[in-house]
Amino acid sequence: MTSSSTKDLVSQPYKYGFVTEIETDKIAKGLSEDVVRLISAKKEEPDFLLQFRLRAFRNWLTLEEPDWAELGYPEIDYQDIVYYAAPKQQDKKASLDEVDPKLLETFDKLGIPLSEQKRLSNVAVDAVFDSVSIATTYKEKLAEHGVVFCSFSEAVKEHPELIERYLGSVVSSNDNYFAALNSAVFSDGSFVFIPKGVECPMELSTYFRINSGDTGQFERTLIVAEEGASVSYLEGCTAPMFDTNQLHAAVVELVALDDASIKYSTVQNWYAGDENGVGGIYNFVTKRGQCRGARSRISWTQVETGSAITWKYPSCLLQGADSVGEFYSVALTNNCQQADTGTKMVHVGPRTRSTIVSKGISAGRSSNSYRGLVQMGRNAKGARNYSQCDSMLIGDQAAANTYPYIRSQQPQAAIEHEASTCRISEDQLFYLQSRGIGFEEAVSMMVSGFCRDVFNQLPMEFAAEADKLLALKLEGSVG
Amino acid sequence: MVSSVLAPVQERGRAALERLGLPTRRQEAWRLTDLKRLAAVAALPPSSTSVRQDLPAPSEGVLRLVLDGSQPSLEGQVWPQGFSLLNHADLEQVLGQILDHCGCAEAWPVEFNHASSHQLLALRIRGKVPPLELVLSGGDGLVATRVILILDEKADLDLLEVVLAEGVSAHSHVIEVHLGQEAELRHGFLATADGQASLLAHLAVEQAPRSRYAFTSVVTGWSLGRVEPRVVQLEGQAETTLKGLAMTSAEQQLATHTAVRFDGPEGELDQLQKCLASGQSHTIFNGAIDVPRVAQRTNAAQLSRNLLLSGQARVDTKPELEIVADDVRCAHGATVSQLQEDELFYLQSRGIGASDAAALLLRGACQEVIEQLPSLAKAWQPLNRVMESLDR
Amino acid sequence: MIRPDAELLLEITDLHAAVEDKPILKGVNLQVRAGEIHAVMGRNGSGKSTLSKVLAGHPAYRVTGGSVRYRSQDLFELEPEERARLGVFLGFQYPVEIPGVSNLEFLRVATNARREKQGAEELDTFAFEDHVGEKLAVVQMDPAFLERSVNEGFSGGEKKRNEILQMALLEPVVSILDETDSGLDIDALRIVAGGVNQLATTDNATLLITHYQRLLDEITPDYVHVMAAGRILRTGGRELALELEQTGYDWVDKELAAQGVA
Repeated sequence: MTSSSTKDLVSQPYKYGFVTEIETDKIAKGLSEDVVRLISAKKEEPDFLLQFRLRAFRNWLTLEEPDWAELGYPEIDYQDIVYYAAPKQQDKKASLDEVDPKLLETFDKLGIPLSEQKRLSNVAVDAVFDSVSIATTYKEKLAEHGVVFCSFSEAVKEHPELIERYLGSVVSSNDNYFAALNSAVFSDGSFVFIPKGVECPMELSTYFRINSGDTGQFERTLIVAEEGASVSYLEGCTAPMFDTNQLHAAVVELVALDDASIKYSTVQNWYAGDENGVGGIYNFVTKRGQCRGARSRISWTQVETGSAITWKYPSCLLQGADSVGEFYSVALTNNCQQADTGTKMVHVGPRTRSTIVSKGISAGRSSNSYRGLVQMGRNAKGARNYSQCDSMLIGDQAAANTYPYIRSQQPQAAIEHEASTCRISEDQLFYLQSRGIGFEEAVSMMVSGFCRDVFNQLPMEFAAEADKLLALKLEGSVG
Repeated sequence: MVSSVLAPVQERGRAALERLGLPTRRQEAWRLTDLKRLAAVAALPPSSTSVRQDLPAPSEGVLRLVLDGSQPSLEGQVWPQGFSLLNHADLEQVLGQILDHCGCAEAWPVEFNHASSHQLLALRIRGKVPPLELVLSGGDGLVATRVILILDEKADLDLLEVVLAEGVSAHSHVIEVHLGQEAELRHGFLATADGQASLLAHLAVEQAPRSRYAFTSVVTGWSLGRVEPRVVQLEGQAETTLKGLAMTSAEQQLATHTAVRFDGPEGELDQLQKCLASGQSHTIFNGAIDVPRVAQRTNAAQLSRNLLLSGQARVDTKPELEIVADDVRCAHGATVSQLQEDELFYLQSRGIGASDAAALLLRGACQEVIEQLPSLAKAWQPLNRVMESLDR
Repeated sequence: MIRPDAELLLEITDLHAAVEDKPILKGVNLQVRAGEIHAVMGRNGSGKSTLSKVLAGHPAYRVTGGSVRYRSQDLFELEPEERARLGVFLGFQYPVEIPGVSNLEFLRVATNARREKQGAEELDTFAFEDHVGEKLAVVQMDPAFLERSVNEGFSGGEKKRNEILQMALLEPVVSILDETDSGLDIDALRIVAGGVNQLATTDNATLLITHYQRLLDEITPDYVHVMAAGRILRTGGRELALELEQTGYDWVDKELAAQGVA
């Protein structure tokens, strides 16, 4: 590709960058045990949860911020962050009609209509605004099947026994620095419970919106699929454009019992900062699924296009015999974005299987790293892993790094890892152009061809959207 | 050969070791290392000289030198045409320079060698010369050897380094190699021990354009082994081939850390690392490839193949690719498995017993690397040595 | 078919072009009218492949002088994709493989880009499958190739057939076929040539760039041009190709020497 044209492949203006003017209930900046207690009190939490938070906070104080990732950013001042902000509305409304119209309008603008008339027909949505759930659609319909889909806060009130049983059971409160921080101060998030034998009748989706400029975002998602249950869940994320950085440290825990299946898809489009790297979200996320039961299956699919910094490794702990873990990822970085992402597949049980497909695309001056761990424990007899990590470089100033760690202690386990690096060659571009296909479309065809194996894993409703999102990110004024 | 130039180097090494202390688990490069064994190596007294007598006769036309870390000089050595010792002035200029270029001058094993070695072989090679064999060996305790090879433009050399050790001993070896334009070096490294000795070997190689460097390492039988080849293509446009066979049994631990950097365009790398772990042993491979922006049209391929031969053994492998140039071809792959059941079954179905079949397949797996050793290695019967060490 | 009153489709005048500052084309003159089939012959390095790349707009080739008018329009003002949409088609000597991009999708997007310019309606996925099904017959191609990535893992013959399939779909006005015969066995050559013959009409024109006479046994040219040292050295009818077959290219050197070029 000619150098002038690659330079023009810059992201188009971020269209979700607006701020919603709404009164919020915010506490003062800074983090202390009192702040943790205050958050818990505001949310009227049971004592077990306050104790969970306090343990996490004390752990956090003893932990160090990780520095092993291929990321550079100025030191984060954890005392300069607001740890609780919520749009001012009284209790969560029984009916959407009572939700502040400004909030509904915000989600409308983001393409997530919540009102009865316009909502997506086969997708139930939990809308989270500045870490607080403001509305969940189709709750009643789901309840008919015994499926619980609600905000985390509601779940704490209505299903405290489930929360107490599963919270922190996959990602403990001292798992890592950011997980400990989240455990101490998380404000809301989504909770999903699929009872034994139930196949969730519709796609579930949570839409996260950051609005405030100085507020940290700490959501917590917990999905439990009992024996034989199955669910497909998708999360989307956007944020306004600020010239400061916002910290987002979420935790997601998935639990799959015998024969259960959880498919978790993410389309992450947080604000990435401008072309000079000013502003953008610092995205430090801990996601882990535990295949607790035999023959259970957890599949992560992620399309990561936003954030100034991405640090996330959705992982599977494959305990149940014959359980299956999957990770399909597209990570696109442009301008000054930095992404260090990948997965961990920890094979504990016999005949467990995992598949990793990672596609990294680096453009501009960005840095895109795949970091993965495949581990075969002593009892993982007959276990298998296949990994494929491909990088595509656009322009000669972007970096693509690959760090696949492999560890095996079981001779009867097989691991296979392949990786390649490619670029869009001038000849390929010319070939498409000489058939009447424009430069931008040619680039986007090749990029989506590169990502096809991953897009195929997304729920139908979102595959086309992800494709479009990627095209937009690379679109620009071709000179 | 011993040289006053080493005095300041020793001082530097001692100071560095004092400053650095022993490596810790918090350092990524040492995270998996058995640090207790490393501490034991660091505490060993210098070896008392004992040159081995049981060496096989060298192949014909081969120049053999024996380095035991203490022999004062090679005075009286007759040098074939094309070999010459570096003079004092040259030595002062080049000593440590290649380590610097390869970014490993301050690595712990290098500083450890700095502090310990008082023997230095520094040779300049011109034109096509007879094969050179360096036997690195000593008695109990710590042996430290250091070699510098400067291959002038178009020089052509077959080099075999043989490291032998037994008993409670350790060998620290540092070799620096410069390949001038169009120079060729086929470098074999055959290091076998009896399971008690330890090895810390560091290679720093810099390549000028159009030079070709082929390194083949066969390492087995070390209680604690660490082999670290570092190659820099100074201006790209060179060929690097790295083939490694690392085998462990009993409770041995053997780490191979390779690093290749392309500081110019059109460089080529072909790398294969094989690790075989049996018993309760542990192999580690860490293969870094660095392709910065100047290294357009680099073509690099790395393959890490691991055989895990026992339920108590452990394999860790970690390729590391860092690429900033867009017009490059970099591929890497890794596999970990046991011997292929269908291959075993095929042999058994032809009447070969299970253990013979396994041995046959293992020989095959080793042979792929061993046959890449320069031909002078034949005198050492490398395949037999390796298979013996596996049986032990 | 030669008709002096037919539309002048392509007019190449004193064309000069270079690759990485190395001049390759040094004054090419050529006129192509509707209904005509031209063969451009010459040895390796004579500039014939460069001519095809320049006409299609490959970015590595730089035009340093002269002009090319396509239906009275300045060809060099147009991006490669615009040329294709207006009916200029290059059949590649070495069609590139594009992993991940579905052949069917690629053909559909390209066909629709051309159809939009032609004022024809866009074909949706289903309509296009029918449409492409008809065209497959032209090159006797297995529909299974549509499901694969563009040219990925295709044999040499399959790649060339895929090229002619694209030609059938894009209905070009001027087709430039660069060494379409290279690497083909005789059966594949017949199929490809048969496709080209089927697609030739009185309204379009074909420029065959070839090394050997054997393609011209299958496709009868109206004109044969011999290129050497970046220029057209001689133009004749079909008999010129036969003459070359017998005498080889040695006379070219003599003629160049006489002109003081070589």
